[in-house]
Amino acid sequence: MEAIRDGLVEAFRLIGAGDGELFSIAGRSLLVSGSATALAMLAGVPLGYLLGRARFPARTLILAAVGTGMGMPPVVAGLVIWLLLVRSGPFGGFELIYTKQAMIIAQFLIATPLVIAFTAASIQALPARLPDLLAVLGAGRLRTLWLLAREARLGLLAAVMAGFGAVVSEVGASMAVGGNLAGDTRVLTTAIVTETSRADTERAIAYGLVLLAMAFAIVAVLTVVQQRSPR
Amino acid sequence: MEARLDRVEFGYGDRPVLDVPDLRFAEGRVTALLGPNGSGKTTLLRLLAGLERPRAGHVLVGGRPVPDVRASVAYAFQEAVFLSGSLRANLDLALRLRGLSPEERRSRLAEAATACGVAHLLDRPANRLSGGEAQRANLARALSLRAPLTLLDEPLAGFDERGRSQMLEELPALLRRFAGTTVLVTHDRDEALRLAGDLVLLREGRVRAAGPGRDVFAAPPDPETAAFLGYTLIPTDAGLAGVAPGGLRPGPGDFMLTLQVEEVVDLVTSVEVVGRGNGERIAVAFPPGQPAPAPGEQVTVSAPTETVVTFTEPPPEPVDRPSRASVA
Repeated sequence: MEAIRDGLVEAFRLIGAGDGELFSIAGRSLLVSGSATALAMLAGVPLGYLLGRARFPARTLILAAVGTGMGMPPVVAGLVIWLLLVRSGPFGGFELIYTKQAMIIAQFLIATPLVIAFTAASIQALPARLPDLLAVLGAGRLRTLWLLAREARLGLLAAVMAGFGAVVSEVGASMAVGGNLAGDTRVLTTAIVTETSRADTERAIAYGLVLLAMAFAIVAVLTVVQQRSPR
Repeated sequence: MEARLDRVEFGYGDRPVLDVPDLRFAEGRVTALLGPNGSGKTTLLRLLAGLERPRAGHVLVGGRPVPDVRASVAYAFQEAVFLSGSLRANLDLALRLRGLSPEERRSRLAEAATACGVAHLLDRPANRLSGGEAQRANLARALSLRAPLTLLDEPLAGFDERGRSQMLEELPALLRRFAGTTVLVTHDRDEALRLAGDLVLLREGRVRAAGPGRDVFAAPPDPETAAFLGYTLIPTDAGLAGVAPGGLRPGPGDFMLTLQVEEVVDLVTSVEVVGRGNGERIAVAFPPGQPAPAPGEQVTVSAPTETVVTFTEPPPEPVDRPSRASVA
């Protein structure tokens, strides 16, 4: 108990003192996971929309594959990307292994199935006639997409939350493709592992608190937007 | 604004759904598309709205191809669909998408909502309206657009019996006030005759009859169409006779037959006598006060000549390319 109490005290001291290393790692986490989530939204929302609306022979199979992707362990995603980006791999020439870009790619792989599945489900839940209604009212393609997205906002924002939540808290993929290089690819989750193995519990707790606070702040903002009723 | 289908063919995959050589909806007229389920009524409406593209031929509104003139069309779907938000926001969005100014939107919205009896619901969430309220709101949204061509798919669906008969009375005046050319879909003969001046009778994707309602009703082209219009079909020596609904009465007259009574049903306001005549099961309404026969008895019934049509030749082929179905 004493260790936990001391750890919390030290953690709050580090946060209060604006510890440079702590905030640099937190910023890197936000950058990597935020970028991966944004890219997953860019790719996943249109694909989810297509899977939610269109009817084609392989649709169910693709939905099943996406569902499987949702349960993919991050370390497996990390292994796949590592195999692709490692110097002897097919994309080794790009020299991306052990960089932030590699971590973003791995986290993108983790978040995208979640975004696709949440988007497809929320689009499928809309009344089937809604696109027809907007078409006959004279809404253009972009306006229709915007209005449909607004209707499906509960599911779409849940997709952002699920995607961001999954990647900001993962450690396996970041460790595998980022290498946990201090000052370069170390993020909050890999830093927690490092500090715990070094028995520096104060720092590990501080990193953990910042990670939780960051995730809470982002999810809280998204929840407020999600729950706001349109006029 | 006139609407026209010119040599239109439409289908899903290999399955043909509509084949309409030439059909015109005259400017300013109300036309009912009448036909059984699956006859292609809603598909025809969707083609007019530009929601479906014909496999062949052209759909023209005001002489221009349909997708280009969407702003001239208002469509009320059978099932009222709304976006989340208040009814006011939903009606306003429809007007906003037509590019109207805020003042114009306000005035049109209030006018249509009041006329359709939904003004008191404007600030309620549109998705929480009851069936009848939602249908009225659906109609208000379409009518507020004051489009040259208004399309209504089963406008009386979703109402309870009282609401339906009320709307049946109100709708003609609403259409006169807010709509130009109107095409409405129904599978109910009485509804079609009450609401529309012209009828287009569809069966299996083809136009079986088109023209002023009275003419279509008085001269069904084939027994199947006659049966759909409620005619009683009776085999005779000369072929097949069709008696218009309400045409058969007890007692002797122009077109007579003897009925072997099988069943007598008291409907309070009348008595329905069901029996077999010329090999067919036939129902005849006996007016109140007229003594009804008992099952097993024989009774003479008849119909005035003007209510009887005869089909002496094989049923004609559906309207084909050389002929023209028109309600113009």
